[in-house]
Amino acid sequence: MLQDTQNVVSGISGADIATAAKYLAAGFVMAIGSIGSAIGEGLVAAHALDGIARQPEMEGALMRTMVVGQAITESTGIYSLVVAIILLLVV
Amino acid sequence: MLEHLGEKLILHVTIGDFSLSFDLVTIIMSWVVIVLLVVLALWLRRGLRQEIEEKPNRIQAMVDALVDLLKGQLTSSFASEKLARELFPFISTLFLFVLFSNWLSVIPYCDSPTKDLNVTLSLALLVFFVSHWFAFRMKGGRRYLKGFIEPYPFMLPLNIVGEIAKPVSHAFRLFGNIFGGAILLAVVSAELIPVVVPAALNAFFGLFIGAIQAFVFAMLAVAYINVAVES
Repeated sequence: MLQDTQNVVSGISGADIATAAKYLAAGFVMAIGSIGSAIGEGLVAAHALDGIARQPEMEGALMRTMVVGQAITESTGIYSLVVAIILLLVV
Repeated sequence: MLEHLGEKLILHVTIGDFSLSFDLVTIIMSWVVIVLLVVLALWLRRGLRQEIEEKPNRIQAMVDALVDLLKGQLTSSFASEKLARELFPFISTLFLFVLFSNWLSVIPYCDSPTKDLNVTLSLALLVFFVSHWFAFRMKGGRRYLKGFIEPYPFMLPLNIVGEIAKPVSHAFRLFGNIFGGAILLAVVSAELIPVVVPAALNAFFGLFIGAIQAFVFAMLAVAYINVAVES
């Protein structure tokens, strides 16, 4: 009863807090979740470039392996994107 | 605003206490891709030469170059020549379907079927079953089952979870890339800048990312089948 009166006075209901938490969580998921995959993809590209600079004739094979490696590295970032989408649109 | 993002045209069918839901947009767009590919294949086949001595015409040269490219890029990482020859039609069909699905979002009033998790998950499950069927056939039942308790028997649950994680990550990767691009496009065109910029973004996400993701999807299918057959 006391809590209800307080909520009416402040004008903030539990649903508002849940919505705010949802948006905050989606933002944090993307912000923190994409750090790892960004660093990982940069490392893959850097080492592929090193390899191409050392052996330019291997460029085709290196590029192919690099793209696949980056796609696998990207999955953690994609997972966080999926979680953020679920938070925003489904929950 | 963005209310239309979660909306879907869904057909509900109830037979007794059994209920089915069909996403009509996804089904129609998948059929558009299938019909497009079949028509393209029939049209290209018309240009093929009948005799081997005949000089190849333009269409023939184009199809030859395309097949050579797919063969060189997609199937060169297979363990054996026999496996590559056997699975080349499957892998290139997968690649072309995903590629045209991703590219379909560039056409107005069309939508990528790969924006739906059901489509990508069913493609990933297809690859999963093909890889296990080939592993079973190539290695024989005993060696196939023994692969699950390698290197130690107590690793069995971990191996099973690893096998299940493969199709899940395979499906979510394609879905996340295409759906993320679509959401970014919707946000930019509905809330920020409705002119010029969405077209450039659509070209980037639809054509460039779509092509890369289709290539990655096919390459990962090759890698999964290869690992299942070899290890």
